[in-house]
Amino acid sequence: MNSAIEMTDVAWRAGGSFEVKDLSLRVPTGSIYGFLGPNGSGKTTTIRMSMGMLKPDRGTIRVLGRDVPRDMPKVLARVGYVPERPHVYPALTVREQVRFHASFFRLWDAGWADELSERLGLDPERRISRMSKGETGKLLMLLALSQRPDLLVLDEPTDGLDPVVRRDVLTALLDYVSETNATVFISSHLVHELERICDWVGVMDDGRLVVELPMQAFKNGIKRIKVADAPAVPEEPPFTILSRERLNGAGSETWIVRGWQDPMRHYFDGAGIGLRDVVDLDLEEGFVELLRSSRPTPPYRS
Amino acid sequence: MYQPMLFLHWKQIRFALLPFIFAAYGLPLLAVQGLGSSPGMEGPALEAYRVVSTYQVWLPFFPLLAAAIGVTLALSAWNWDHQLGHVYALSLPISRWRYAAVKMGAGAVLALLPASAFWIGAHVAVASISLPVGLHAYPDQLAIRFFAAILVSYALLSAMAAGTVKTTLWVLAGGVVFVIFGSFLSQFVFPYFGILRHTDVVQWVFHALVSAPGPFQVFTGNWTLIDV
Repeated sequence: MNSAIEMTDVAWRAGGSFEVKDLSLRVPTGSIYGFLGPNGSGKTTTIRMSMGMLKPDRGTIRVLGRDVPRDMPKVLARVGYVPERPHVYPALTVREQVRFHASFFRLWDAGWADELSERLGLDPERRISRMSKGETGKLLMLLALSQRPDLLVLDEPTDGLDPVVRRDVLTALLDYVSETNATVFISSHLVHELERICDWVGVMDDGRLVVELPMQAFKNGIKRIKVADAPAVPEEPPFTILSRERLNGAGSETWIVRGWQDPMRHYFDGAGIGLRDVVDLDLEEGFVELLRSSRPTPPYRS
Repeated sequence: MYQPMLFLHWKQIRFALLPFIFAAYGLPLLAVQGLGSSPGMEGPALEAYRVVSTYQVWLPFFPLLAAAIGVTLALSAWNWDHQLGHVYALSLPISRWRYAAVKMGAGAVLALLPASAFWIGAHVAVASISLPVGLHAYPDQLAIRFFAAILVSYALLSAMAAGTVKTTLWVLAGGVVFVIFGSFLSQFVFPYFGILRHTDVVQWVFHALVSAPGPFQVFTGNWTLIDV
């Protein structure tokens, strides 16, 4: 499978406080890859490394088949980037900022930029310093999309936007992707938002990539199951137990498991454990349970 | 991309630059105030001495104004980039040095505005007085020196601003280490080994920087509008 972004054994340290450790990450070409993680987990650092803004201490990074940061200008000509903090110039108007940005991109689509500006309701004569957060968010998406990128790297592009603006921004993004089959690497706190649009998901925590897999596998594989007569140490289950919680009844427990498939129900008969219920978790619940289990003192892991 | 960069820089600095343009125009006029329009009664030599010594009071203000303009130009050009960790510049498909060069080029063009105002002011100032016999006016040379001084201070500040805070701190720390280490060499090591007894390394380097052909000679050199 081709990868739009490929990081191998990447390490990066900021003083003594934070480090990214042994990060290996693949963003498949043509996918919408949701990058999840709590604040300070290393999402923005990872994104900045992929954009050549931070040089890793160790490991290799390839973006669109080229080495980063060595081939950066060539890579960036094909990447639309929306940073965590708006980086446009407050002294300019929307029209002036668009003209400034366009002058750096050979593939800039002026017609589409005008159309997008109209669709997103941006006033070309509005000064950026007087724009709301929502308007700035729309402008950033316009700048990223109008350069006709093969890859979009979006660092919390909808953070702080109201639901209407968020929908407008995401609709513009999805329209572009459906038209061009571009790859999207998007980080967000809004787990439900990613659940709706992404087909791959990666979860960062404390500078490590905890999991990376297709969204469907992530959602299907994480379950909450209720069991009876649970032993202290279950006999080699074919799935991973992320957490165990005792219920009122004797031996009754709730397990959060990963890697679940329906045929695994037979395991419980052989192990003498009563399987009472299997409940799907949505992405947010799965995400929370995954983080809880991946931290230094998990309740129990098989 | 140069034109949009020039436009951006102009929009960022236009209000800050305006007072400097007026100051650059007015300073040569102020410098010749009180010199009168006709020679005095003391005789040509004394009159020439009076003109030159009156004018000399204003000399320090010329390089200071030029340096202030250069610093303002550089700060306005890089301030926003700096506040956001240069993220925008780094996300553009252009090498870092080229981006800095385009930005510096835009600043150099904008420096022409106060330099031109200074040149006009210098010519108007010279036209407003009658020089005593033996004295000459050098408005063109002074305006060129003024422009060069703006460029030097602008380039210096821009070079620092274009880098990361870490790089700037390294450069400044390097300067401090050089002063300490150079003084130590001159005070203790050279005398101990009996070499370069009368050489103060720090002073020598400073002298090389501020005298011709050093880069800062433009500030310490001859800022004369009126001279023999």
